[in-house]
Amino acid sequence: MITSRLSLVLLLIFSPIALAELEFRDPWIKNLPASVPVRAGYMTILNSQSEAVSIVSLRSNAFTSIEIHQTIEQDGMMRMEQVTNLKIESNSSVHLAPGGLHLMMMNPSEPTQPGDLLEILVVLDDGSEQRVEMQVMK
Amino acid sequence: MNKSSIAIVALLALIGGFSISWVISSNKPIELEAGLWFGEQARALPEFELVDHSGQVLNRTSLTGKWSLMFFGYTHCPDICPASLQTMSDMVQAIEDPDVAAALRVYFISVDPDRDNAEVLASYVTYFNPDFTGATAIMEKLKPLTRSLGIAHDIRNKIEGNPGYDVDHSSAIVLINPNAEFAGLFGAPHDALAMARDLTRIVEYN
Repeated sequence: MITSRLSLVLLLIFSPIALAELEFRDPWIKNLPASVPVRAGYMTILNSQSEAVSIVSLRSNAFTSIEIHQTIEQDGMMRMEQVTNLKIESNSSVHLAPGGLHLMMMNPSEPTQPGDLLEILVVLDDGSEQRVEMQVMK
Repeated sequence: MNKSSIAIVALLALIGGFSISWVISSNKPIELEAGLWFGEQARALPEFELVDHSGQVLNRTSLTGKWSLMFFGYTHCPDICPASLQTMSDMVQAIEDPDVAAALRVYFISVDPDRDNAEVLASYVTYFNPDFTGATAIMEKLKPLTRSLGIAHDIRNKIEGNPGYDVDHSSAIVLINPNAEFAGLFGAPHDALAMARDLTRIVEYN
């Protein structure tokens, strides 16, 4: 007779659901005066799994929208290009840092202060979501 | 080696040394830790007219008598401009010689005049350092200055009714001497401490 506990275990073992999970290190937001309608967010993203994981979107109650952008140099000028799908290879990390990849966080719902902790949701290509708490810094 | 050989080598070295210093002082930009100094090759700026964040005219005459650092960007810039302004603030605070610090002025020139009016600029630049000055002008008035400094900038994806658009701009910080001449250049990435040392060298040397 198969007990309900055993059947639950069997279900989990044979379940096709394997939720991806990324690690987010040192997430921070550069503070700017309230008159500026954007903020930049930075962090290191680690994927310690054997499959690549992609971030397909981000959102937050603290901003109207969040996009991933990359600062690149072209024709002697710095410009930003949107990255719609950020892939983190297996057993790799991606750095979002000033001058390179960054979160473009639009229209803060409230003026930000150094020390504020703002929560964002990161949506992955398998449909799962992860919460990340980001600290506002001067 | 015999004595006459040594003497010849020494004489050549002496001539060589003089030659090198002559070349440095006359023709080429001098490489600093964090940028380039043009020395004798500093170029006079053309006439230009911008308005600063307190509503005052900023022109060629305004720049005479002090050493000015200028960075070009826009306030809706989330990444490069805040980082560069922060670096410049760190840089001025790192200058140990009070005479050098007193001789410096830092300007943030917005190449996005449609969004960056005096009020917006005032709150933006003073956020990084209360002594910084923001300034801008309509495109036609910005171009004479930016062209003379080799600063490229461009507005893209501007659509009627949509306040969001892209502004591309060079990230170099330019140095203007007390004769209002384009005197030097600090390329990105900017190192606050190295720039502080370079500026101290330049200002103390002059």
